[in-house]
Parts: sequence; structure tokens; C-alpha cells
Amino acid sequence: MTRVNTVLGTISASELGFVAIHEHIGYGMPGCELDSKWWKTPEQRYEETVPKLRQFHENTKPWGAATFVEATGICNGRDIDYYKSLSDKTGVHIVASTGFVGGDTALPFFERASVEYLTDQFVHEITVGIGDTGAKAGIIKVGVSRGFKMKELDLRIYRAAARASKITGAPIFTHLAVDSGPALNIFAEEGLPCHRVLFGHADDGVSQGLINEKALLDAGARIGFDTFGYDLELPDPPFWGRHRRERLQHFLRFLESGLIKQVLASADANCSPLGWPGVKGHTVNYLFEQLIPDLHAEGIEDSVINQLFIHNTAEFLSLTPNPEH
Amino acid sequence: MCVKHSQGALEPLPPFTSLILDPPINEGVNATLVNTVLGPVDARQLGITLVSESLMYVLPGARYAYDIKIDRAAVFDAVAAKLSAFRAAGGRTIVDATGMFQGRDLRLYEALSHATGVHIVASTGQGPESMLGGYFLTPQTNPPTPWPASKFAELFGKEVNDGMVAPRLERRAPAGMVVTAVTHSGMTPTDDNLVRGAARAGATYGVPVFIRSGADALAEMQLAIDEVLEPERLVMGGMDRRDAVVKGWPLAVARAGVRLSIDHIGTNDSLYLSDAERVSLISELIEKGFADRILLSASATGVAFGEPGNDIPYSDVLTKFVPMLQAAGVSQAHIVQMLITNTAQLLSVNGEVK
Repeated sequence: MTRVNTVLGTISASELGFVAIHEHIGYGMPGCELDSKWWKTPEQRYEETVPKLRQFHENTKPWGAATFVEATGICNGRDIDYYKSLSDKTGVHIVASTGFVGGDTALPFFERASVEYLTDQFVHEITVGIGDTGAKAGIIKVGVSRGFKMKELDLRIYRAAARASKITGAPIFTHLAVDSGPALNIFAEEGLPCHRVLFGHADDGVSQGLINEKALLDAGARIGFDTFGYDLELPDPPFWGRHRRERLQHFLRFLESGLIKQVLASADANCSPLGWPGVKGHTVNYLFEQLIPDLHAEGIEDSVINQLFIHNTAEFLSLTPNPEH
Repeated sequence: MCVKHSQGALEPLPPFTSLILDPPINEGVNATLVNTVLGPVDARQLGITLVSESLMYVLPGARYAYDIKIDRAAVFDAVAAKLSAFRAAGGRTIVDATGMFQGRDLRLYEALSHATGVHIVASTGQGPESMLGGYFLTPQTNPPTPWPASKFAELFGKEVNDGMVAPRLERRAPAGMVVTAVTHSGMTPTDDNLVRGAARAGATYGVPVFIRSGADALAEMQLAIDEVLEPERLVMGGMDRRDAVVKGWPLAVARAGVRLSIDHIGTNDSLYLSDAERVSLISELIEKGFADRILLSASATGVAFGEPGNDIPYSDVLTKFVPMLQAAGVSQAHIVQMLITNTAQLLSVNGEVK
């Protein structure tokens, strides 16, 4: 039996269908809620979000179902009740995260917390629920603070995530794949097999040259090409953007080297950003409108696409408690 | 307290026009009005006022903790009981001086004020750096430059001019004071920007500015005054800290024409004076002619989440500390001045009271 936590309940991995493994309904840095320049009415928020999710649902019809993994951590505007209503009304499965996007998004209460407390927080959110929403988190978010260097608080969060993953079986995904040495050490020390960890944003424009891909692959970790669509060809690309062709070639090198089981892909788009302008024209549906046609044009078979978006994701998201625990 | 983030860059010298905020709404407003959560109140009606208290304190992030439940009905009852006791002891006004990001809940405060008859003044502002969210410290820009003073001035100023925020929902009543704080171990570049931003917002919109002192209160005070904030519109907090007294800050602050806040009445530990020592400090300041500079408060936490509260009743300043002042020979007139006149002048928008 396989089990995956979605905001509307635990389901079999067989029900997930097409999975976008790293996306956002809305992300904002902690404190942005105080700045009214970003506020939107509920009407506007639903108006910006619902059509994108409905289109996503429509695009996944050939695969039978749509799953949207929401990568917004604690303190970043994560809003479970809102996700529940969106999921219920659009039919898209939404998997919510526990954890933090990085140490610099953990507010003072969590900054002061021990590894043990952070572990308890993550385990509670995965096994009991998030706040009083009744919804359980399905994945643990960790990440590297700004500056491309792991900070002490980042490491504390990684260690707590490793322990929570072993206890609950929930996978971990990271914000950034840079400075991965300390992360791999922590996972080794904690005895967490690295195939339970997706090192994300390995494809972004600012990380190139800073990622030790070989170390990640040798450790058995998964690699995320999960910022598809942040193309420098956009009218107003973000600073982490990259030329579309260059990202695609990078991705194809992985697909052609027999490492496909270790690769996951997504768009990291915001349906309705919370504390920043967002990137106009970029949605989760880039995967269907641009990426999959690009892959087909390169001669990539449907079986490979299914491997990436159906099988790898289902295996990764299935709660897999560590038997040693 | 550790400083969470890399040191922020100092703000480059801004063009002159960037120092000009939107003009105050209701320019030439009746100068005797005070911004409370239920709207403007004549300063003469404030009565006995404590300027540095907390109604509901929530350490940033604590509301997401798996083991913290905030029962609003229970919070209401607990704080209402403390406010009612304060009122029964003769108190009339409480300033919630924890700023915009440490549990301030305007709808709760409005209901508490209605229910207890105590005027509640809520504050804008944030600080020190370690209390800020990543939005202000590592924004989504490359590089992630922390916020400059001009942006803090605008954020805080809007809370006075347009109303305080219920996050992502609406603005409610205007803030009555701007509060910031400086890191105890020393001012960080972001603390510097917070102080200057707070001073600029206060100077523009006529509300007082309260700074919780860091390692060098006199330098922090000067930083605010240099932003063209009138000294009498500025309060330096924590003047009953032991190190403050050792360094001679209370007298130096008073001499500069700035208000000083004896704001941990009822707390006696390695950091703060005992109440008996507070009485001596106050007597000395009055003797030197600075009664018009002194403000009294307890920094009591009505309820606290995420870190321990202090369980000090707001009424203790009146029922326990004022008798100590009287016993030490402080006159009734001076006690009235510290608890009623000074606070009314301070909280009056534009700083005048008839």
C-alpha cells in the first residue's frame, strides 16, 4: 500500500496522476503581509489562481489526475485552508509542505528552537496535522539561506528534516542545490537514504557552476530541474532566470545519461505571489505548453515523460518510513 | 541576542526628495488629540497612562508552532481582567508598545477597550533586527539588500497616516506611537535604519517615537534627533536598566530634552534595578528639575505566546509603586505630572496639549 498526504486527505500514490513536484499557490517572505503594497482582495487572489489550476487539471487529463506539490514553508504565507478550498473546487490534488524554505525565512520562534523541537514540529505536521486545519503535510521543505552558503540555522533545519523524514517517511526537497556537502553529511549522519531527498533548483541561472552534481548523484540523491519557465527570454525575467535552450540542453544531458530515475522536473511558478511581483507569464502550465513539446521535439519518448512526472514522483512522494527507526 | 542575518548595508545618501513622505492627512489636526484604537481621544481625557505595556505578545513565528494554541476567548478574558483591575486602581490608558509584528491584534484591542473602558493606544514600528521577518532583511532582489531607513519610514508612516494593518486584510485606526529597538549587544546597520525610519515617520506625522535602548542609548537618541525629531517627541526606553544607570544615561537623556522611560517597574533581576532603586533614581531626577521628562511603566505582558510573559499586573504601578514614591517624599503634583501630564503631552498628535 502506498500513501501520500494531500490537503484533503491521504491517498494512494496511484491516484496522483501527473505531478508538478515544486510549485506555489503563493509565496512571500515573512513580514511581507505587513506591507499593503502587495495585498490583494480574495476575489483577485482566486481569480488569479483558479484558472491556472483548472488549466493544469485540464492539461493532465491524459494522465488521469493532477497533483500540485505546494513548496511554501512555514512563515512564508502557507495557507492550508485556502489550499483545501482550491483543491476541492478544482479537483487538483495539493500536497502541502512542512519545513522552511531556508533559515532566513524562519522567524525568531523557530530560529531559537532546537533540532528536537523542529523535528517535533515537522513530525506533528505530517502525522497529526498543520495547525487546526486537520490537513497533513506530505513533504518537508529545507533550503539554503541567501548567499549560497549553508548557515547554522539552515543546518539545524536540515538535521531536523532528516529525523522527521526517517520517522514519518515523508520526502525532503530543498531550495537550492548549492553547498550540498554539509547537507549530504547530515543525511549520512542521520542515516537517511538520499533517494528520499530532492535537491532542487539545480537548473536555475544563478546556481550554475556552484553545484556539485557528481556528489549528489553518487550519494543517490534526486536532482530537481524545477525552475522550468524562468527563462531569460521572458519580457521581465527574474535574476535566477536562464536561457531556455541552455536549461533544456542541461536537462537532456541528464535524461540521456541513464540517470532518469534520479531526476524530477517542475516550474516553481506562483499562481498568485504574496510579497513580490511574481513573473508575468510564468505558470505551472509551462510544463505542458513549452517543456513537453520541447522534449518531444528532441525525440524524447512518452515513456520518459511518464517516468519523470508519474513514476519518479509517485515513488518519491509515497510515505516510506525508515525500517531501522 | 544573536544577530540573525549578515550585516545590512548602510543606506546610501538618498536624494533630498526621497526624504519627503506623503503629507499628513488632516493637516492642522486638533493638536490635543491622541490616536487610540477606537479613534481620536482628547488628550485631557487620557488620565493615568502607562506608555510601555503589552496586551497580547506573540514572539514572531510562535503562532505557527504546533504546540501553541491561541484561544482568543481566553486571551480576551485574561487581558480584560488585567485592564479592569488597572481601571479600578485609577488607570485610564494603556499603550501597547510592542509595535506591528509582535502580536498586535487590533480587533481584539478594540473589543477590550470597549469592554473595559480603558483607552488603548497601539503602536507601529518593529525592531531590533533579530525580530524582523526575512522580507525586510533578505528581500527577493539580487543582492538581497536589507531595507533602508526611507522604506521603514514609509511603512511606519502609513500606519499613522492611513491606519494600522490587519495583515493582508485592511487598515484600521491610526497608530499612536512608533516603537523600535536596538540590539542589546550593539546597533546593527538595520537597527540604524529602523531608528532613522521611526524618527522620520514620527517627525512627519506628529506621533512620538519610542526607542528601546541598545548598547549606547545616547548615540541612538542622537541618531533620532538628527532626523529632525524634536527631543520632547522622543522617548528612550529601558532607563531603569542597571547598565543605563551605571553609564549615566537617564540624566544625559533628560538634559538633552528627551523623555526617559522607567519602564520595568516590578521587575527586579540582574538586568534591571529594584523598585527601591527606581524610587531613588526618580527622586534624583526630580530634584534636578527633570520631572517633566519622566515616564513610568511596567512592560507587563497581558498574555504572552512563544516566550514567558512576566505576570505583572498593569495596576502594580499604581497600587505598589506610587505608594513607594509617596513614602520617599515625591509630591502628588510630580506623580500626576509623570503619570498624566507628561504622557498626555507625549501622545498628543503634534505634541501640544492645552
